[in-house]
Amino acid sequence: MNTLTAIAAVELRRFLRDKSNIFFVFIFPLMLILLLGSQFGAGSGQARVTISGPGSALAQALTAELEASGADVTATGADTARTDLSRGRADVGLFLDDADAAAFDAGRPAELDVVMAPESAAQAVLQQVRTAVQAVGLERGQLAALSGAGIPQELAGTALDQAAAEVAVPTVEIVDANDVEQEFRGLGRFDLGASQQLLLFVFLSSLTGAATLIQARRYGVVGRVMSAPVSSGQVVAGQALGRFAIAFVQGGFIMVGTALLFGVDWGNLWLSGLVLVLFCAVSAAAAMMIGSVMDNDTAAAGVGVGGGLVLGGLGGCMVPPEFFPETLAAISLATPHRWAYDALADIQRHEGTFADILPQLGVLAGMAAALLVLGAWLLRRSLSRAL
Amino acid sequence: MEVAEVTTKDVLDVRGLVRRYGDLTAVDGVSFHIRAGETYGLLGPNGAGKTTIISMVAGLIPANEGSVRVAGLDMTPSETEAKRIIGLVPQELAIYPDLTARENLKFFGRLQGLTGKDLTRRTNEVLELIGLSDRAGDLTKKYSGGMKRRLNIGIGLLHRPALLILDEPTVGVDPQSRNSILESVERLSVEGMAVLYTTHYMEEAERLCDRIAIIDEGRFQAEGTRDQLITLTGGVDRINLRGGGSTSRAAEALSALPAVQHVDSDGAGLMLTVSDGPTALAGIVTGAGDAGMSVTSVEIVRPDLESVFLHLTGKALRD
Repeated sequence: MNTLTAIAAVELRRFLRDKSNIFFVFIFPLMLILLLGSQFGAGSGQARVTISGPGSALAQALTAELEASGADVTATGADTARTDLSRGRADVGLFLDDADAAAFDAGRPAELDVVMAPESAAQAVLQQVRTAVQAVGLERGQLAALSGAGIPQELAGTALDQAAAEVAVPTVEIVDANDVEQEFRGLGRFDLGASQQLLLFVFLSSLTGAATLIQARRYGVVGRVMSAPVSSGQVVAGQALGRFAIAFVQGGFIMVGTALLFGVDWGNLWLSGLVLVLFCAVSAAAAMMIGSVMDNDTAAAGVGVGGGLVLGGLGGCMVPPEFFPETLAAISLATPHRWAYDALADIQRHEGTFADILPQLGVLAGMAAALLVLGAWLLRRSLSRAL
Repeated sequence: MEVAEVTTKDVLDVRGLVRRYGDLTAVDGVSFHIRAGETYGLLGPNGAGKTTIISMVAGLIPANEGSVRVAGLDMTPSETEAKRIIGLVPQELAIYPDLTARENLKFFGRLQGLTGKDLTRRTNEVLELIGLSDRAGDLTKKYSGGMKRRLNIGIGLLHRPALLILDEPTVGVDPQSRNSILESVERLSVEGMAVLYTTHYMEEAERLCDRIAIIDEGRFQAEGTRDQLITLTGGVDRINLRGGGSTSRAAEALSALPAVQHVDSDGAGLMLTVSDGPTALAGIVTGAGDAGMSVTSVEIVRPDLESVFLHLTGKALRD
């Protein structure tokens, strides 16, 4: 055990000692997650409505009604509202003016300008806004009617509140008919990017880290290690453990870091951790293969970056696989990223249980086992080559 | 320094070792043994098979034929017990450049089974021994070539091996570091460690080794102490006389002297083969002068391992 941990620990130490690794392994992924979340994050699925125009009773009533229905309401200027709508930062914009406010105060009908964002999800939010506007209009009309019948305004308001509390008003559940939009509902701004970048970077760093395996052979260290009282099996196992430790340290850091810094919800941490463990095992085995087959550490780093990006892209770490055409979606199932992505998606979005993600775990475990056997065999051969 | 106690007579016993790579026989029937406190040298040019022999002795590669026994234990690549007895110092700098000297020592110490306080103590002792205590925390990539070589040797000494195997440890080292390394090997030998030392530097083999095997093309050409090997050349010295005047008359006169076996001449003077150079020198210089040669310089070349290698293989050691 001492031999195994000694080899694994020295590999991890060497990996962490490289300053460029510190940046690309720990800092860069978090920066990317922050950037992606800021630019493209879909929010929490909450309806985002902007209300622009002068402060008025109408604006206050609409804000209260919309917030009561669960929408996130922002008061802003008209130009900002249009920018937010065009860039997807808001779903629906309500543009009020003085005439609207005066009509509302006077109990007259008003025509409100509404602009909807191009995303299909905005349809559902528009319906939510329409319902809120109708509710505000209805209440205003009822108040006007009661006041007209000679009931003081305060009493009329109280009577309406009581009626609202006592009468069960039928509600309309707004369901987005778009499967893709539905899939991402409930995700936090950074949740999707975090899981994608986690898988992309853990695999990428593992592959590029394979260069240290080649260096150990080139330095002659492998020969010296083999002259010590250790078996080739121990050396292979130690190297595998070292690769795994490198991947797991990075993966663990990204999970904890994004949870603390960006509030990423990883769902059931035990299950997410289990997915990470198996994905790290696959990554470690793939790194062993590259480090064993190749003899040039610079070339290996290049292959690691290229291979990591291509597999990551195919596996849904750049564009979510939910947007893939059918053929590409089928191809993506050949990558470990896709299986890990699906498992994490299940845990994060649908409170998936162990049984739910068992198929994904099984495939990842199978991939890890197959690659580990192949990687160990190749590493043994490379040890002989080094002597 | 303490050396692990070995109860068998020979720390290393190699018999009939053969290693083939396809059609090439890199090592062909090599046998030798080393006792405790003995330094045994493998002297031969690059490509003679020295490193292949060492790789088999250290259990890195298997032999096609023959056996290696270390302190009575069979040595094969899968044999871990025998490997505890040896310390290998490979020709290349087998250290991690991105670790410090202390980290390198601790890593290889753990592989040798050292742990805890024992590991720390031995690491400090070895750092002291190789003179790197004050630079122990520096990354080894910042070290000079000599410092790296010293660390390379120190790693081989960590677990107090009974047999230290040094494969060309002074290649590419400055004279000061080379001398320091040679002194260390002499000290270890005195302390009872058996040393297997390969080199293609004749002076190192002459200085360090109790017995030397001259190896070429995978075979031992001769084996013995330095003096035993020298006798293979016939024990003759060479005297080079430089000067002008009547060299042809001098050559004729000197050929008649009893100690002189052979005289050659070139444009610059005469080259004599004599049975005992220092004793015959005075008579030779006088005889040359009497014959009309004006001698400007005299050089006695005593037989050395280079001469032996030349005598046995017909080529120079550094070919």
